[in-house]
Amino acid sequence: MNLMKIKRILIANRGEIAVRIMKTAHLMKIETVAVRTVVEPNAMYLATADVIFDNTEDISEIPVFLNIEKLIAIALETNANAIHPGYGFLAENAYFAQKCIDNSLIFIGPSPDAIYKMGNKTIARKIALASGIPMAMGSEGNITNEEEAVVIAEKIGYPVIIKAASGGGGRGMRIVRKSDEMEKMFIIASKEAEKAFNDPSVFVEKYIENPKHIEFQILGDTKGNVIHLGERECSIQRKHQKLLEEAPSSALDEKLRKKMGDMAVQIAKAVDYHSAGTVEFLLDNDKNFYFMEMNTRIQVEHPVTEVITGLDLIEQQIRIANGEELRFKQSDIKLKGWAIECRINAEDVQAGFAPDPGKIESLNMPTGPYIRVDTGVQAGSSIVASYDSMIAKLIVRGKDRKEAIKNCKMALDKVWIKGTKTTLPFFRMLVRHQKFQDGTFTTSFIEKDLEKYYFNSEYEEMLAAWLATKLFVEENLNDNSINVNFEHGKVMSPWLLNKRINQF
Amino acid sequence: MGNEKLQIKKLYALSSENRKYSFSLPLKHTIRIGKREYEVKLKADEKYGTYILWKNRKYPVEIVRSSQNKYEILFNDISYTFTIETPFSLQRMKVLNSTRGKIEKEIIKAPMPGKIIDVLVREGSVVLRGEPLVILEAMKMQNEIISPVHGTIVKVLAKPNTNVMKDDLLVEIKL
Repeated sequence: MNLMKIKRILIANRGEIAVRIMKTAHLMKIETVAVRTVVEPNAMYLATADVIFDNTEDISEIPVFLNIEKLIAIALETNANAIHPGYGFLAENAYFAQKCIDNSLIFIGPSPDAIYKMGNKTIARKIALASGIPMAMGSEGNITNEEEAVVIAEKIGYPVIIKAASGGGGRGMRIVRKSDEMEKMFIIASKEAEKAFNDPSVFVEKYIENPKHIEFQILGDTKGNVIHLGERECSIQRKHQKLLEEAPSSALDEKLRKKMGDMAVQIAKAVDYHSAGTVEFLLDNDKNFYFMEMNTRIQVEHPVTEVITGLDLIEQQIRIANGEELRFKQSDIKLKGWAIECRINAEDVQAGFAPDPGKIESLNMPTGPYIRVDTGVQAGSSIVASYDSMIAKLIVRGKDRKEAIKNCKMALDKVWIKGTKTTLPFFRMLVRHQKFQDGTFTTSFIEKDLEKYYFNSEYEEMLAAWLATKLFVEENLNDNSINVNFEHGKVMSPWLLNKRINQF
Repeated sequence: MGNEKLQIKKLYALSSENRKYSFSLPLKHTIRIGKREYEVKLKADEKYGTYILWKNRKYPVEIVRSSQNKYEILFNDISYTFTIETPFSLQRMKVLNSTRGKIEKEIIKAPMPGKIIDVLVREGSVVLRGEPLVILEAMKMQNEIISPVHGTIVKVLAKPNTNVMKDDLLVEIKL
């Protein structure tokens, strides 16, 4: 039995992942510290923390979750002896991981060296190449201007993709199909990269058309053991932002799973990886796969892997950070059933998935044996423009893919969120789409195969028309109408509507 | 509305895609599909807020916006915009539409709140449909605002490094 050295964890994050980490910490009887910010002083994640550090006086435009010195100071002041970075923010910042170690704080994640090597995509490419991992052709290292990019593109052939060297999460990436688009796209990608990662360097590689996005969950301990927990398929994405993930993938058979899994383990071993990590591949039509990148953090979509393996990945991260050896071997890992995760975001599907920040008036999520909901908001919470637009992750399981989709369809109809527009209509459409059901979709599904981004049944527009007519009658034609004069753009509050309903 | 009220026998809800739904007055709480009439109920409770009950299913509804005869309704999380017309106003609209001249300029508005990162055009620039005009950053993503038309830029209101609200004017293009 290993002694748990980790006594109190500072959660250097917010939202659903902060809630998720605290849930496991509590089960492990480890205390947690959360940071209250001026942007979200009443956020849900504060409710489950043992200690709250009040940082509301900090009104800097840069979130505290990106402020290394401050976070270290908070950890020391609150007597935390470990830090969990979650995802996003400083999760893949090697300097932050190093700073934690320098201050005798346990960083719950991989070594700074592994973060640095995998975080820099050009170095990661070189390591993968040296390990014999299949990869798309591309530039040797970073490129500095569009002329150089054109030379490489001519050599490997269009289309190519420009990627940020320090990138991730779809930012700083642009596809170029013709040489005359290069200048514009190069500037946009480089600027976006500088803004997002403080590093404008980019590289170019061959763009794989219509691939599937397949990623492998890796677990490694500090004793040199590395295993994989099977794959996730995240091909349902828009502008490189994942919307729905599932595990396993219908595109893989046992043989291909083993081959890709072994490659994933190999690349992790090449950087002496420990903690949870994800190796991302693109899989083309002919089942050729190409290494894309390795994410050195816990991923948003980790729950689907947890569902089919029965493991708690946060617990594994904490145990590994504590210096414990993995308690299972590759042969112990059995994938059971199927899991699907829908990212319910505050976005307006009808306006090209534009963010729709606002206050969540009500939030009703379904419950049941096949449903898991990970969320960081509740009724009354606000989705603020300065952070991501996530409301909740709806995770649904089934004994096989067909049952998981069926359960997902039922669960989606039971989600009620009021206050902002959400991606729900998109998922309701998706689970009914032939291409999704038969598993033949690729990452270009949303852009190429969809005529409509949302689902509405035959009579829904008519019912909405009836309601609009009803309101018009109430306001204008009834003798006892309230005659409220709405200014343009004024949002009608629910109580007013209720008052009207009671009149009928 | 006074006298007009008495004469109205019918109302039309015109969708933004120009689909027309007609309802006779007084408005019934049933909708006919084929030969059957189905009851429509507008209800509200503590847990779900306002909803419509139809064929044994609850659909969440919200009124996003309303001004004069224009209504934006969120029905089952999908937004629909209708203008409600009387037979008289519908006729008037038809006449107006047939006499109205061609639209001469296109106004580009911010589709979402965010920060202007870059303005790629100047007054007098000639743009083609599909050409990026402005780069707007919202929720950490840089979005290219693309010209929907061929034309000449007549006004540039977007300034780099400034924040904009949804529907703020960015660029005006003369066709």
